[in-house]
Amino acid sequence: MHEPDSPTPAPSVDLPRFAVVGHPNKGKSSVVATIAQNDSIAIAMEPGTTRDSHRYPMKVDEVTLYELIDTPGFQRPRKVLAWLQGHSLSASDRPETVAAFVTQHRDDPRYHDECELLRPIVEGAGIIYVVDGSVPYNREHEAEMNILRWTGRPSLALINQIGPDDHSAAWEAALGQYFQIVRRFDAVRAPFEKHLDLLRSFGQLAPHWREPLDAALEYLQALKFGRDSQALERIADALIDMLGHQETARLSEFEDASPLLPKLQQRWQNWQREREQRLRVAVEDLYQHRRLQRQEEALVTPEGGDLFSERTRQLWGISKTQLAAAGFGAGAVGGAGIDAVALGHSLGAGALIGGLLGAAGSYYYSDKLTKLKFGPLSGGFREAVYGPLRDPQFAYVVLGRALLHWYQVSQRNHAGRDVLVVTGAQDHWLAQMERSHRNGLQKSLQALASRRFDPSKRQRLIEQLELAQQAFAQWQLRPFQESGEAPSD
Amino acid sequence: MANALTLLLDFDDQYRRDVDQNHAFLHRRDRRFAQQQQEQRQPLTVPAWLASLHALNGQRQVDSGRDPRLRGWRQARWVFAGLGAVLGVVFMLGLLYYDGGQQINVTLLVALVGLQGLLALFTSVQAWLGWQPWRTLLGRWRGNDDALASLRPVLSARVAHTGGLMFALTGLLTLLLQVAVQDLAFGWSTTLQASAVGYHQWISALALPWQSLWPDAVPSLALVEASQFYRLQQDSGVANPALLGTWWPFVLMLWLVYVLLPRCVLLMLAALQLRWQSHRALRAHPGWQPLHYRFDTPWVDTRGDDEGQAAPAPAHAALSPLPASTTLIHWAGAGLQSASLGAALSVDPAPLQLRAGGNSSLDEDARVLAQAAESGQPVIVVARGWEPPTGELSDFIFDAREQGVTALLALVPLADEGGEALADAGLLAQWQRFVDRQRDSQLLLCAPVAAEKEQQA
Repeated sequence: MHEPDSPTPAPSVDLPRFAVVGHPNKGKSSVVATIAQNDSIAIAMEPGTTRDSHRYPMKVDEVTLYELIDTPGFQRPRKVLAWLQGHSLSASDRPETVAAFVTQHRDDPRYHDECELLRPIVEGAGIIYVVDGSVPYNREHEAEMNILRWTGRPSLALINQIGPDDHSAAWEAALGQYFQIVRRFDAVRAPFEKHLDLLRSFGQLAPHWREPLDAALEYLQALKFGRDSQALERIADALIDMLGHQETARLSEFEDASPLLPKLQQRWQNWQREREQRLRVAVEDLYQHRRLQRQEEALVTPEGGDLFSERTRQLWGISKTQLAAAGFGAGAVGGAGIDAVALGHSLGAGALIGGLLGAAGSYYYSDKLTKLKFGPLSGGFREAVYGPLRDPQFAYVVLGRALLHWYQVSQRNHAGRDVLVVTGAQDHWLAQMERSHRNGLQKSLQALASRRFDPSKRQRLIEQLELAQQAFAQWQLRPFQESGEAPSD
Repeated sequence: MANALTLLLDFDDQYRRDVDQNHAFLHRRDRRFAQQQQEQRQPLTVPAWLASLHALNGQRQVDSGRDPRLRGWRQARWVFAGLGAVLGVVFMLGLLYYDGGQQINVTLLVALVGLQGLLALFTSVQAWLGWQPWRTLLGRWRGNDDALASLRPVLSARVAHTGGLMFALTGLLTLLLQVAVQDLAFGWSTTLQASAVGYHQWISALALPWQSLWPDAVPSLALVEASQFYRLQQDSGVANPALLGTWWPFVLMLWLVYVLLPRCVLLMLAALQLRWQSHRALRAHPGWQPLHYRFDTPWVDTRGDDEGQAAPAPAHAALSPLPASTTLIHWAGAGLQSASLGAALSVDPAPLQLRAGGNSSLDEDARVLAQAAESGQPVIVVARGWEPPTGELSDFIFDAREQGVTALLALVPLADEGGEALADAGLLAQWQRFVDRQRDSQLLLCAPVAAEKEQQA
């Protein structure tokens, strides 16, 4: 937003600028929110209240490559068209007539919205006209389309899908008569590749816009990759913190330690939840989701340390089958070892034994969780320590939840307004990882849980998490790959 | 050494300060710094980055000596230095204790010097391997999450070597003092069957490092032969007692070369190792890679400035019952496809149904209003409730009054083209606000359902 007293800089002639226009409530702001990756835009505003155009420049190190302009919807298109028709002599003077309309009515409150939406177009912006493809085509909006045609500016029509019905074909045929390019675009569900395709289409509107738009696409792609890898770094740091975390308290030489255990347990759990929430916010911030509402079950660790109970598995969303099939937890290395010795012939047996070893490991570690460890007596006091939780299942639970959240956030468009529901996985994604990669990850997680993790191995952990991230994304796409459909379009 | 450690701690502090900042802010800030450095042809380094942030925040660079995280180590270093100094004096006094009875055994001296060397070597090896057998002394449960966690072995080695160096120094000074103020008689003795020649060869080998520098500090065979003694031997058998004192240069050099010098070298190595490991810890720091990513990657901003868009004022839709009307106007063709809507809204089963707005011309709108005015009855305006009311509808209502429609105007927003009543509270509030903005007491917001309920009542 400009300072009130600072003059608005004159728009550069060569800068690709796109005014997103249309009838009110057809998803203009949603389209801008998604392309500008700004979730504060698509707050529904209603006509009749004061509305101004808002500019969303795409800048790379302060150099603007293109600019999107979110405009108010048409309010009085028939009157505007009547004015234009009444002031035009021939087809050749139409753009000047539109400019004259804006000049004449700039202070007229009745035509405030029309002036706001037409001004950037008169100043050289391309037109992105948004319609709702989920309602049947009707001729109610032809006055708007005619006004836009009068401007003589390059134009693209965007069929946005707001509701469940699809009347895109009829819209496509009708819009083709008014606009150079017609594209379908679901502002809420379109995957990132579709965003890029749309921007590429913007570049086709004028030959000199192609180059800056192509450059912008490259930057946006790099930005997406950068965010994915930074999200991994944040997940790695959270794992390092969470898996090795200990809670400590001092107690005197003859003080009974038993009342301390539940207190430290509670503190430990609270700390874990708080740290996990910090990770969630950090990942959302990375993808510029600042108004996201999230619904996720709190990270719950089992009461009494019974990590392998049915209740625990329910809390963590893990089934016995998953444990066995994925060679889950502590048994993964053992199971893989058996398979390796049998040259892969014991595929099932190795995994099963892996699962059993996992169970044994859980049993072994569960005992440790319920205990406090004590430091040496010093000055009449000793230190009681609770944690870390050495059961490898905990690491996979934290990692699984983090990857699920990352995936949903990374795939989410900024026009989305629904609550992000992070639910437990029904199947286990670890099975998608190659066994050698899984073993490497397992070793790193175990080192973290036993506080033997060398900080210099952080990069290695990030690389392992990248493989896990790929496996997770692959696992997410599996149902669509099996059915031969795209996840969303 | 201190610089590398300061840098690490300083970087860690900045990382912790930045941890709650949003990513966009950090990227803009650090990218801007990187570009400034490039423009000014200045090297893009972490110290320069930290200095720039300190300057912006009006902070002073904290000397590592004052850093509270190093206080414990600094104190330990002083304690070890003091202890080492005292022990060095006591040790040497004990070693050189001579009551005139029997000579000071050079063999024992050499053995203790060897032990010192071994201890020094063991300390360094521990640090190199990162082994911390003494960890419990420092508090076994001390967190591993501070920036110094990986440097503890080498910091400990530095403390130990400082103590060792002070031990060696005060030991040396005590030796010199003892040599000056007492007549020390050295000799050698061993249970093993060692000949003077063999012993001389061994001593000469030990003295090799200073053989050319100070030949007098290499005992001669004659001296070795003359200074062998046995504890049971009553008479020392030494013809010239002054000869026994000539061992001192050897003892001095032995201490210097095998105790003091190794400690000096190992302390310097510990300092170098600390520096190297500080750099390594800095590069492995979780903030290092993200910072360089922010330096190297252009800041891409698509969001623009966040506009502070005020939410519309809350409004409670007050739905009025439908007035008895026989005239329906379908705004922009809303509900025209519904065959039953006319009968449902009107008291007349076949009401007059007109169309305005949307694709109709302005002249057609005017004709519709003229027709409505003629009847003199309330008029129902049906609109699509899911679309926001536009300025054209506002103009239409204004024009209706201008053209003589003075009766009630009932605005009925629909939920769909089939004529269902709008139930969404948010949408209804939007229509209520529209009605309020018209400032027309004869304009009502109505719903078919409300009308039916009224009839039933």
